[in-house]
Amino acid sequence: MNRGHRLLSVAVLSFLAPEPVRAGNETGVLFVDRASALPVRQSYEGEWNHFVGGGLAVLDCNDDGRPDVYAAGGAAPSRLFVNASAKGGEIAFAERPIQPLGAVTGAYPLDVDGDGHLDLVVLRDGPNMILRGEGACRFSSAPPEWTFDGGREWTTSFSATFERGQDWPTLAFGNYVDKTDPQGPFEACDRNYLIRPQGRAFGPRIALEPGFCALSMLVSDWKRNGVPDLRISNDRQYYVRNGREQMWHLEPLAEYTEAEGWPELKLWGMGIASRDITGDGLPEVVLTSMGDQVLQFNEGGGVMRNAPWSVGTYSTVPYKGDDGRPSTGWHAEFGDVDNDGRDDLFIAKGNVDQMPSNAIHDPNNLLIQQPDGTFVERGDAAGVGTMDRARGAALVDLNGDGLLDILVNNRRAPMEVWQNATAGAGHWLALDLSLPGSNRRAVGAIVELRLPDGRVLTRENTIGGGHASGAAVPLHFGLGAYDTAEVRVTWPKGSVSDWAPVHADGVFRVAPGEGEGLTISRLGGAP
Amino acid sequence: MRKTLLLASVAAASLASAAAAADLKVCVSWSNFREERWKTDEAAIKGALDAAGAEYISADAQTSATKQLADVEGMITQGCSALIILAQDSASIGPALDAAEDAGIPVVGYDRMIDDPRAFYLTFDNVEVGRMQAREVLNVMPKGRYVMIKGSPVDPNADFLRGGQQEVLQAAIDAGDITIVGEAYTDDWQPANAQKNMEQILTQTDNGVDAVVASNDGTAGGVVAALSAQGMAGIPVSGQDGDMAALNRVALGTQTVSVWKDSRALGKAAGEIAVALANGTAMDAVEGSAKFSSPSGKELNSVLLKPVPVTKDNLDVVLDAGWISKDTLCAGVTGVAVCE
Repeated sequence: MNRGHRLLSVAVLSFLAPEPVRAGNETGVLFVDRASALPVRQSYEGEWNHFVGGGLAVLDCNDDGRPDVYAAGGAAPSRLFVNASAKGGEIAFAERPIQPLGAVTGAYPLDVDGDGHLDLVVLRDGPNMILRGEGACRFSSAPPEWTFDGGREWTTSFSATFERGQDWPTLAFGNYVDKTDPQGPFEACDRNYLIRPQGRAFGPRIALEPGFCALSMLVSDWKRNGVPDLRISNDRQYYVRNGREQMWHLEPLAEYTEAEGWPELKLWGMGIASRDITGDGLPEVVLTSMGDQVLQFNEGGGVMRNAPWSVGTYSTVPYKGDDGRPSTGWHAEFGDVDNDGRDDLFIAKGNVDQMPSNAIHDPNNLLIQQPDGTFVERGDAAGVGTMDRARGAALVDLNGDGLLDILVNNRRAPMEVWQNATAGAGHWLALDLSLPGSNRRAVGAIVELRLPDGRVLTRENTIGGGHASGAAVPLHFGLGAYDTAEVRVTWPKGSVSDWAPVHADGVFRVAPGEGEGLTISRLGGAP
Repeated sequence: MRKTLLLASVAAASLASAAAAADLKVCVSWSNFREERWKTDEAAIKGALDAAGAEYISADAQTSATKQLADVEGMITQGCSALIILAQDSASIGPALDAAEDAGIPVVGYDRMIDDPRAFYLTFDNVEVGRMQAREVLNVMPKGRYVMIKGSPVDPNADFLRGGQQEVLQAAIDAGDITIVGEAYTDDWQPANAQKNMEQILTQTDNGVDAVVASNDGTAGGVVAALSAQGMAGIPVSGQDGDMAALNRVALGTQTVSVWKDSRALGKAAGEIAVALANGTAMDAVEGSAKFSSPSGKELNSVLLKPVPVTKDNLDVVLDAGWISKDTLCAGVTGVAVCE
């Protein structure tokens, strides 16, 4: 919040909105093209029903400490790629058979039944599916006794949470245009649905109305009051006028209103990224859109305020090429790609298909956070500024070297794999939360990492957001020059652990310990 | 159009001496100056400001609604006497009007409506454009089966146009002379989408179409392509914008009318109105101003310039104005007087 105010003052003092700085090379962030690591051409294909979507689900489905990936193919095959990378070596993948599903738009991993194996919620233009993880990267259709109703809509977004008193998750499905509406597609957005558990099965679908063509959803305790809400980012292209960005109370189910301080905001909402970047523990959000990519500072008390132009993240038009038309943003994700202790931002960009009002050659953004809290574009210098129609993506350490790599799923172009080869990156660590019984990955937990200089990095363990893409992997932190830190966890049921010391440069399992303690055990990384 | 402009010019002339003495500075916030057409508008604004002895300052939001807010704040600190704003997104321009109001600076909303009574609304009369389109088509096809190809559903102008078209056609519809057999919005005003929609309608009606009211020249181009594929080119089709290809179609006879909005007139009026407001003229006292009811029900002070319908009979208008070259206008044309 303090940083937000500082930036605001900078903006007011400066004349004519200075351009975000683009020059300089104080960080050597660099990525190497490893697209050839994929054994087959993978791409997101199809007609209008696959203009949106194109997600990636990242999960370690064989418990070898290397994240695997399920890629949505739309009208083309969706595939599972098992990570065969050696530690610190070149990224490598092998294809693994998985139940063939058509018209897949995206997927999110989560452990539905608490058996310790991650399952896959697969979003489709048509009935959504849950693929139950059985270990060793084998998946089968969810058994009938789960009584999961996948609907028939054109689903384009998803989020999940474990509500108080429930062993199973509550699932939120966001739908796009109602294709059966003869008056459509404009002003014909379908309704969204919430599915609550009933014991160890799912209950009936509960309509979330009105729907405004939801392209991203995220359940987040954004006010840090222990009461998570459901944020929905909606596409103005099809709701046209009478729609807005939405926030829903989950209990009782009700949409936030202007009267309670949720201002009306209209975007071509495509993706949500959430992360505390100001250091006050409250998560900021980035909402991708057409033109301005909107960063909102979380000012506390349920107030989100648009960041000033000078913050450098708006990325309104392409930063290279000669196309002055507005960009189209899709997946957005925060992550510290140079491990300097400051989160950076990746935004997947690309034209819807051939929309002439927007840039056709639209490079992906890699925005590196500076010590003053502003962001500088490094997509081109880092090598990841490709021009294809990007959709879903992931920032994840694929080869166990502590550096976040990048996966990008493209519409009508091959999927990209970028190995992080940044020299001189800082220390890091990754934390894999673990709970006994249900909600074994501690979805909804809040992790704080206190650095020796007193700064606290805060991370909320969520399922949802991005663009049709999600990851269930250890939470990655960059530590800069520090090789130790302290960790504290607020568990989903509200109990807060004591601070516990943790070493850098490894992956650690973090579970509740004695009293308010934590049990921390090393899973991988340097000894 | 001529009458309104004349009045605006008179207003500026009578204020010119006061303006020069007051050391006026008019600040213009462009939404995206990389779009070619605004360079014509800018020259006309500058011309009007020069004539009044006022200074011109500008900023380019480069399609960013957020940068536009920062631009306006930045220019206000430089001491604007009046603001002209071409809004990138009229739904999020409110804070710029707040800042202008705090600084006591009048605002002209240029071309795109800013739905706020604090801004003066200057544009071409889009309802009138719609009337002109329908009127010219109705002149040549007083009875028959009509198709309405509308603009982008997210652009309020699309509905203004459609409203004007309906006004003109209503009597003929009520009399049973005209039946609307197909109607579609055109996503993003894209010619390819207009063509696709027209093809669908032709299929649905088994080519039973006698005339098409298309809302601009781009969509008219898509419509004519669809008609040509069925050997139907030459039935009445409307448009607007005075696009080069469309004016050539008018000369060729495959398009009936292109309603032309001369952006030089719009720029000139903006400069003159900004100077008048800066000199203390009340918004409702600007020469030629009238109340405009916005779709959300707000009363805006406005000047709506009247456009010119260009048909085969008055193509000399665009030639004489230097808008289009004779070679471009007359490519492949025979038997039209101005092309001889």
